Amino acid sequence: MSAVALITGGGNGIGRAVAHRFAAAGMSVVVADCEGDAAEQVGAEIEQGGGRAAAIALDVTRAAQVKAALEQALQRFGRIDVLANIAGGSFYTKRIEEFTWAEWKRVIDTNLKGTFLMCRETAPVMQRQKGGRILNTASNYGVTGSALRAPYAAAKAGIIAFTKSLALELAADGIRVNTVAPGPTDTPRVMEKETPEARRQRWYAAIPLGRTGRPEDLAELYYFLTTPESAAITGQLFHCNGGLL
Amino acid sequence: MARLAGKIAVITGGAQGIGRAIALGMAREGAKLVVADLQEGKAEAVAGEARALGAEAIAVAVDVSDEKSVQNLADRSFERFGRVDILVNDAGVYLKAPVIRKTEADWDRTLNVNLGGNFLCARAFVPAMRRQKSGRILSIASSIANTGGREFADYAASKAAIVGFVKALARELGPDGITVNAICPGSANTDMPRRHRSEEETMARLRATPLGQVLEPEDIAGPILFLASDAASYITGQSYNINGGTVML
Repeated sequence: MSAVALITGGGNGIGRAVAHRFAAAGMSVVVADCEGDAAEQVGAEIEQGGGRAAAIALDVTRAAQVKAALEQALQRFGRIDVLANIAGGSFYTKRIEEFTWAEWKRVIDTNLKGTFLMCRETAPVMQRQKGGRILNTASNYGVTGSALRAPYAAAKAGIIAFTKSLALELAADGIRVNTVAPGPTDTPRVMEKETPEARRQRWYAAIPLGRTGRPEDLAELYYFLTTPESAAITGQLFHCNGGLL
Repeated sequence: MARLAGKIAVITGGAQGIGRAIALGMAREGAKLVVADLQEGKAEAVAGEARALGAEAIAVAVDVSDEKSVQNLADRSFERFGRVDILVNDAGVYLKAPVIRKTEADWDRTLNVNLGGNFLCARAFVPAMRRQKSGRILSIASSIANTGGREFADYAASKAAIVGFVKALARELGPDGITVNAICPGSANTDMPRRHRSEEETMARLRATPLGQVLEPEDIAGPILFLASDAASYITGQSYNINGGTVML
């Protein structure tokens, strides 16, 4: 029986690369994304490549949708061994006094509350199975802070502490919970806002390895954290940023 | 899937415990090994185990706190294999004693081996890695680097210094395609924790982690194998914590 992974934000960028990496390793993959079409597309790519996949349109900030997504995933594959919470985003770059309450809540809820809701629904499934791995997604900004991205930095720092707490709560059930912190990564969402040249200028000198990250770089780290090689690792933060931080 | 096929790896402190697990793990992944250790007989035994797994392996006696000895290790490694792709700094020592009773000689030895060994080995192997525009340097630090440890002040200082050294070296060598990372293991099931405690007490302490499992040398070797592989080519300057959940940073 192959392991089953549920990936939020799986329709694009890092989530998409993670879905492909997991599928290539033989996992059955549930691709969840608020853009249902993107999730369908990634699911189709995986199945065309000979993998097993299901796609779900999911807004992780909606508890009812999260509950329904879990039911759907279980109905299809019967279990969940790996949960990768990748849905998130900074959405805005502006000064704190210009953020509306609604904008603030959108950033906090998508990143932090979404992670909470997904974990709350998935943990009992993993507890029944007596095992599982949860991978949450932070950012280098969750450690350093970032001018003009205050809610995003706050949400990501929140995810790091949330992960540690959950790791302690679930360790006795054989469930490991860790955080991956991507640095600047070439995802379609950031690449459409910035030319490759502007990106080079902004980042390359600051990154010892001399380039920004690729979604595939991150996918290898997420995958490592699902394997028995990481069996003794829980509650930890894993930066992957070319040495930026 | 031999992730390290054809790679040449030098492992200091490779004769026992975590270093041995790393050496044998790398042998299974297709690497060719230089097992370097102060204890030559034990290093030769590990090289023999690696050969039994089908890997090419030699043993070299080294004192990583001695410039000439480290240079000899580098010479022997290049002589035998022509290049070095992976350097694992695992050689380390400690002497348990309260700070007020620690001798200067003991302090020097801990710092010279644990931290100085990282420096001398980097200096010996980095020029070749720069020329080949690739390389992996991996150091074994300790969770004590972050928590400190009563009567382990020199050890804690040396391990925290490794974390700082790794970050600096990563910045220096990144442009040449060389990554530098560390692992901070918690207390593992090796001879080390048994030196000051009974077997019963040792095992009780080792089991007292959130995950409730004893940290085995293989649990430390796994992440090192990952960091040595192509899968980790974008990771540098990090010190990952492997401790069953006892310390979270």
